Amino acid sequence: MSGTTFSRLGSANTYDNAIRNIQNRQSALSTQQEKLTAGKNIINASDDPTGAAQAERAMTRIERVKTDQRALEAQRNSITSAESTLGDVGDALQNFRQLVVSAGNGAYGAAERKTIAGQLSGLRDQIFSLSNRTDSNGLPLFSALGSALAPFVGPKTTAPDYTYNGLPGQPASSEVAIPFSMDGDSAFMLQFSRDGVYNVSLSSNPTNRQLTTTGVSVSSSALVTGATYSVAVTAVDTTTTPGTTVVSYDVTATPPGTTTSQIAPGFPSTQSADIAVVGMAGLSMNMQGNLQVGDTFTVTPSVSVFSVLDNAIRDIGGAANANAATQAVGQALTNIDTSMGRINAVRGQAGDLLNRADRISSNQDKRSIQLEADRSRAEDLDMVKGISDFQNQQTGYQAALQSYAQVQKLSLFNFIA
Amino acid sequence: MSILNIGTQALQANLVALQTAGNNIANVNTPGYSRQKAVLATVPGQYTGAGYIGKGVSVETIVREFSTFLTRQSALASSTQYGDTARADKLKQLEGIFPGGTSGLGASINDMLNSFSDVASSPTDLTARTVTLTRIDETASRMRAASQQLDDLQAGTTQELGQKVNTVNSLAQSIADVNGQIARVQGSGQPPNDLLDRRDQLIRDLNQYVQTTSIPATDGTVGIFLASSQALVLGTDVSPVSLVPDDFGDPRKNKLAINRNGVSIALDENALGGGEISGLLRFQNNDLNEGRNLLGRMTMAISTAMNDQHHLGLDLDGNFGGDLFTPTTFNAQNVRAPVAPAALNTGTASMSLSISDVSKFAASDYLVNFTVSGTALIAEAGTITRLSDGTVFNFPQTPPTAAPILATIDGLNFLEATNTAKAGDRFLIKPFSTSASDIRSEFSTPRALAVASPVAGTSSATNLGTLTLQSLLARSVPAPASVTLTFNGAGTYTRSDTGATTYNYVPGQAIEYDLANPGATGWSLVLQGAPKTGDTFVVQPNPYTTLNAGNATAMMNLRDQPMFDGAALTDGYAGLISQVGIRSQSASYAAQVSGSIANNLEKDRTSVSGVNLDEEAAKLIQYQQAYQASAKMIQIAQNIFDTLMQGLVR
Repeated sequence: MSGTTFSRLGSANTYDNAIRNIQNRQSALSTQQEKLTAGKNIINASDDPTGAAQAERAMTRIERVKTDQRALEAQRNSITSAESTLGDVGDALQNFRQLVVSAGNGAYGAAERKTIAGQLSGLRDQIFSLSNRTDSNGLPLFSALGSALAPFVGPKTTAPDYTYNGLPGQPASSEVAIPFSMDGDSAFMLQFSRDGVYNVSLSSNPTNRQLTTTGVSVSSSALVTGATYSVAVTAVDTTTTPGTTVVSYDVTATPPGTTTSQIAPGFPSTQSADIAVVGMAGLSMNMQGNLQVGDTFTVTPSVSVFSVLDNAIRDIGGAANANAATQAVGQALTNIDTSMGRINAVRGQAGDLLNRADRISSNQDKRSIQLEADRSRAEDLDMVKGISDFQNQQTGYQAALQSYAQVQKLSLFNFIA
Repeated sequence: MSILNIGTQALQANLVALQTAGNNIANVNTPGYSRQKAVLATVPGQYTGAGYIGKGVSVETIVREFSTFLTRQSALASSTQYGDTARADKLKQLEGIFPGGTSGLGASINDMLNSFSDVASSPTDLTARTVTLTRIDETASRMRAASQQLDDLQAGTTQELGQKVNTVNSLAQSIADVNGQIARVQGSGQPPNDLLDRRDQLIRDLNQYVQTTSIPATDGTVGIFLASSQALVLGTDVSPVSLVPDDFGDPRKNKLAINRNGVSIALDENALGGGEISGLLRFQNNDLNEGRNLLGRMTMAISTAMNDQHHLGLDLDGNFGGDLFTPTTFNAQNVRAPVAPAALNTGTASMSLSISDVSKFAASDYLVNFTVSGTALIAEAGTITRLSDGTVFNFPQTPPTAAPILATIDGLNFLEATNTAKAGDRFLIKPFSTSASDIRSEFSTPRALAVASPVAGTSSATNLGTLTLQSLLARSVPAPASVTLTFNGAGTYTRSDTGATTYNYVPGQAIEYDLANPGATGWSLVLQGAPKTGDTFVVQPNPYTTLNAGNATAMMNLRDQPMFDGAALTDGYAGLISQVGIRSQSASYAAQVSGSIANNLEKDRTSVSGVNLDEEAAKLIQYQQAYQASAKMIQIAQNIFDTLMQGLVR
């Protein structure tokens, strides 16, 4: 008898092995089917731990982009509101300006100017309420780095007449977000050194002579102190040098309450005066017309766009004569133009932010698609490959079953009669 | 009439051979059965003048076809396979506790942090706040549920281990019994094939649970040894095994111990080799423990970071934020001293823990070992071992830590609370074992969600440059008194709290309130843009808190904070599932490999010992023919006899 070799097979073991192989194939087929039906290459993390982590990270980022986009929509809505609100403010200011121009009509009397002042007052209220407008979530549009619910407060009886209840400054944009609010302080509040918006009113309003000032402009912003100035004409000397008029005036700055006396260069008496006032630190202004001793000009800084409007309404509505009206209209127009400059500058910033929001949004969309592709690459099943694998395994399983059935039929016992 | 004798003997011998073949066929599917073979031998011939005349055939013995080597190899390989498969199966279950995708714990954490975005968009909207609270509660309950599932898995594993240990003991007893029976029939001269088969099968069964080594003794018995050297069965004596807790009495870790003469010897699971018990022990003591540590670390880091950030905010009523989640506490579960029968600590020191930096956590347990005695922190020395990778840290550390901190490792302060430690004292520190099971949301009023920042920044309205505020984060509360930064052109600035000292201004770089300990207290400010000379920026306590959502933004920023081995907080869960996935994958591979080795060896074993039906059929024919021929021989003998008789009658 020959020795046993490993080529000899134990029948029971052969069955066991065949059945185990068939079971393995069946389980592989079932796994492949699960992958096909789920459309995923990774059912459990252990199928491909790195791929599972990649897919998880991509999913996290996709959710993040969604969240950022949603927040960006809210931000864009706020800034769009702010931008259109500033547009409305600009329109209202334009209307205001037209009415102010019309108030300068020499034919108008005090009554007409009062009527116009009434109209102006309506526009002013409109502008003021626009400035405190809130977005759909109830947040002020012009809250800058933080503010009270109504950032603009006024008019108050004590100076300053308007205050900004907030923290001036502009929040920066990031790669995925723009700010929720615009800097209201920059839009509506005026800085004496930067904007030099001053209202000049006359102490007396002579009806029989022309007396006005130019608008105040900043000649050296570093010197501007924000004081209120009172310019009083102390002497008009036409006799010392015949034919030449020399005007002396006192300039009182409050604070600190110091008075300096100035003597203007003489000018031909035949001409009307056009005297550049010196002694107002960093500011320049000309007194024009027929100056007389006792004429006093009060130069008050306006702290806000609303102050400018209030001054215009007060001075135009209260102008007793054409001269006062001319002075009021002149001051108002200069100051309204500066104010519109502020509004438009901030509106420009808002427009810039909206452009940025569009760019961010489109970048984020691209990123989202990219991330979705990453996620899909990591965990989704390549359907063509999946189906092909499935059919291969199906064929293999079928072959295993058939061959098993056939091999098991073979037995020597079949031939023992 | 020797021909009749020969015929009868042949008839009997072939009948035995047929019977053996029949027995083989009958036992073709009997587990552990070794095919048997009748060994035929000639009966010595009778000497005559004409030489030796054959006297027929006899059955010498029945042997079982058997290879000791292959049997042992197969048992060992199947033992390894059972161990690997048991571990892989459990790891699959562990993996199922941490699913990925939109239904996973990771998505729940991200949803929770992302929900702060809506609060940031509308800080006064109570609906958005309520959604955030719900998400926080949801995340806490998800973490608790995962922890509960881990506990269930733990309980199931421990129960399974207990049953398997009982099975090992009863199998060991059966082997001892069979040993006794074999020893008794040893003297009969014939091998007790069925008893031997039975014992081999019992040993194979035993190896399913724990890998053993068998050493035969001269009396026919076999000694069974665990972990290469510990006798489980010696002759007819059994040393029963049992499950014991580890040195530190940790209910979540077990060891297999063997009890001999009333002495219990704990066996290291790494020395056990294969078998389901060692597979399960490895799963329980390593894999499950790591899963729990990973979950615990994530829970503790996220809840602590969010609590800390929430404390820095102001709610709608102007109060500082409270806890969002149950604050982390460490108790006796987290710090363990040895329990009997292990050597107890001789010193009186007790240890505790505190958190130093949540972003540095490592998902591991720690073993503190005192090597030099001293009085509370003075002159004490020793090592702290991070058990996940075996890294050893020495203490005292340089620079020295302030009492009662013994050492600061991986964002944890190891505190020696009281008294003194002696050399040889040990503590097992399990920082993350309880955090996930204890986590709850502590919060229910949306008004009390502290999303407002206590600090605010403001540019001077007269600024001429393009300074914008990128971010301003509170580092401590209450906010310090206001600080004005005055810029000297684009390059430098001075601070109102430090007088004339100038600092360099770099757009986008953080300006810290706390100069000595950057980031520790006060605030951290990032400005963008180019300031002009004289421009100022003031950081002050926030006067307008109701409409502010600075702290909600800070909460959202936690998403990108490096937290888990340097990965961002939101990626922590992805790391966790891949870590568990890798373990599961490698265990599956190991099970596949050891499975195919075991199958091959079993095939080899059965190629020697297994019954082949075709072979037996052939043998049936072979012996049947021989039987028929023998019968013919008897018939011929009868014919001869008849012929003889007929001759005599005439």
